Amino acid sequence: MNMQPTESETVITEQETGTLPLLAVEDLQTYFFTDEGTVKAVDGASFEVLPGQTLGIVGESGCGKSITAKSILQIIDSPGQIVGGQVKLSLDGTESRNLLDMEPNGIEIRAIRGGEISMIFQEPMTSFSPVHTFGNQIVEAIRLHSSLDADEAHELAVDWMRRVGIPSPEQRMSEYAYQFSGGQRQRAMIAMALCTEPRILIADEPTTALDVTTQAQILDILQSLQKQNEMSILFITHDLGVIAEVADVVAVMYLGKVVEIGPVETIFASPKHPYTKALLSSMPTIDAAPRERMPSITGAIPHPQNRPSGCSFHPRCPSYMSDICGLKEPELMSVGTDQQASCFLYGRD
Amino acid sequence: MTEATNVETKKPLLEVKNLKKSFPIKRGFLQRTVGHVRAVDDVSFTINEGETLSLVGESGCGKTTTVRAIMRAVSPDEGEVLFRTSEEETVDLAELSLSQIRPLRRNIQMIFQDPFSSLNPRMNIFQLISEPLLVNGIGNHQEREDRVTELLRQVGLRPEYMQRFPHAFSGGQRQRIGIARALALNPRLIVADEPVSGLDVSVQAQVINLMMDLQDEFGLTYLFVSHDLSVVNQISDRVVVMYVGRVVEVGTPQELFRNPKHPYTSALISALPITDPTQRVERPVLEGEIANPANPPSGCYFHPRCPFATEQCKVEAPPLQMSSSGRLVSCHRVEELDLAGAGKLGAAAE
Repeated sequence: MNMQPTESETVITEQETGTLPLLAVEDLQTYFFTDEGTVKAVDGASFEVLPGQTLGIVGESGCGKSITAKSILQIIDSPGQIVGGQVKLSLDGTESRNLLDMEPNGIEIRAIRGGEISMIFQEPMTSFSPVHTFGNQIVEAIRLHSSLDADEAHELAVDWMRRVGIPSPEQRMSEYAYQFSGGQRQRAMIAMALCTEPRILIADEPTTALDVTTQAQILDILQSLQKQNEMSILFITHDLGVIAEVADVVAVMYLGKVVEIGPVETIFASPKHPYTKALLSSMPTIDAAPRERMPSITGAIPHPQNRPSGCSFHPRCPSYMSDICGLKEPELMSVGTDQQASCFLYGRD
Repeated sequence: MTEATNVETKKPLLEVKNLKKSFPIKRGFLQRTVGHVRAVDDVSFTINEGETLSLVGESGCGKTTTVRAIMRAVSPDEGEVLFRTSEEETVDLAELSLSQIRPLRRNIQMIFQDPFSSLNPRMNIFQLISEPLLVNGIGNHQEREDRVTELLRQVGLRPEYMQRFPHAFSGGQRQRIGIARALALNPRLIVADEPVSGLDVSVQAQVINLMMDLQDEFGLTYLFVSHDLSVVNQISDRVVVMYVGRVVEVGTPQELFRNPKHPYTSALISALPITDPTQRVERPVLEGEIANPANPPSGCYFHPRCPFATEQCKVEAPPLQMSSSGRLVSCHRVEELDLAGAGKLGAAAE
């Protein structure tokens, strides 16, 4: 379908890290088979994550960004199913394994979850067991993925609690989730995710539920730990401001598809897809003149069951062309250095 | 309204004076009171007719409790909530009994945060929007239907949708329904508690634009509550910054965000993500966590996190007073600190 081998391969060879990207998601399709019909939550998403890089996936609700992340680790809840595509993990740059070939409950993928690829979530309260201490949960994660004994694992867990900035970690190891504040729970979750030294961290809206000052602290910690561990981050958020802070490469998603992808500076300085442009201009900032009308996107995000024909953004698009946009689906095409967008404004083939 | 509206646009509509509300903490089998959470700890501000006043602050700063106390969803412990009614009478909402408040409720309406849980899923749009009219015994069925048609048009929804149920609408549309419902009784004050924080960016802008348009058209007065500084900047005439139940600074968005006078305001601004990826700088991050309102620090509540704190700050709570810049600030060092521009926080602390 929409593979773009020529473009993406040039990107990889420029990086001197072998021939294969650390993680390559190709034409991923995850559908939800509900009683009311099929919802194409992710419908042909492709992107790559390079070592040490942060890929930001940004989009509004229903764009499939979280489902994309969960598909990578095959943790999709029923009635969702991954129906197509590949997720290639290549730890050394020469050989790759397709994670989607693995049994969803098999030993292989379970070693990768929390091992090579860890994940942190938006709601740290529901991500922890309420009846086990933090210490036990972190120690369990460490022991699952290493051969350390209980004491060594305990020591390592305390060390990680300290590294994420939890005061008096030794004492807090024996506390429960409800005893922590939101920011500290998120820190503990980061500690639990990183204690196995994963190559890739998938962060799904990790700061959305936090206050701005706490958000700044958490982003700071993530970035400094990323540097120390040379870890790649797949950062999923709806907040363009956060993307501007953390991402190296940005993929913009709309209704299950990547509509634009490119280096963060390019995406913010010269967005090409009308949706990216609209999203950026409707973002409120404190530099804007107060009491002025904000540019907004007309209409609402369509229900995923009534996906518009052709380009799914066409009913809301200010540059809608009646002769093509509603009829044909655009594919990602090159629109600048390392920048791709799926829009007929930049070519009609 | 009256002929004098032009002259009197600056007349206060609502004056909150020294409002206090605390909640008991109960523990143990006998539910003994072991302490108090001081949710709102001496808050004062004034909303003038026709303006938008925003309450901004992080979670636990008391902004929602302040609003609930104004609405008398909770009864304030101390203080006054002076409201000017349509008969130009000033009443203290904090003092009235609930039955005395009832006839006044139509004057103050509320828009809620969550457009999904704030609309009854078993009522159709007509029932939802006309309910306030019905409760107040206004009009017959036909008149109510006409009013709902008019309201739906005003908030940008098609009147044909009247027989549909909330589940058929998106988040942004539901928030429009919530706004129509709030407007139904021509209230004098609309209290909006985080009305756009549950919405996507593209829809958020639409709702803010709608609220501003309606304000221009009908001369509405808003009390807007939000944790999002950039949204607050967009919609407000004046902003009240709160921290742990207290007001720390009051000013126009231009003043506050370009030239903050309180270290906490400055910290909030510098914590905002910079939306230009080419401008990434190592910025100072505010250390520590928001003080616990059940056990607040001595003196200025912000002093344990404040890079400028002195001995005085640790023992003496600064009053909210007019600084020489003509702004209400509660900081002992307001006259000596220069906090203009984000990022100063760390630079000056060195």
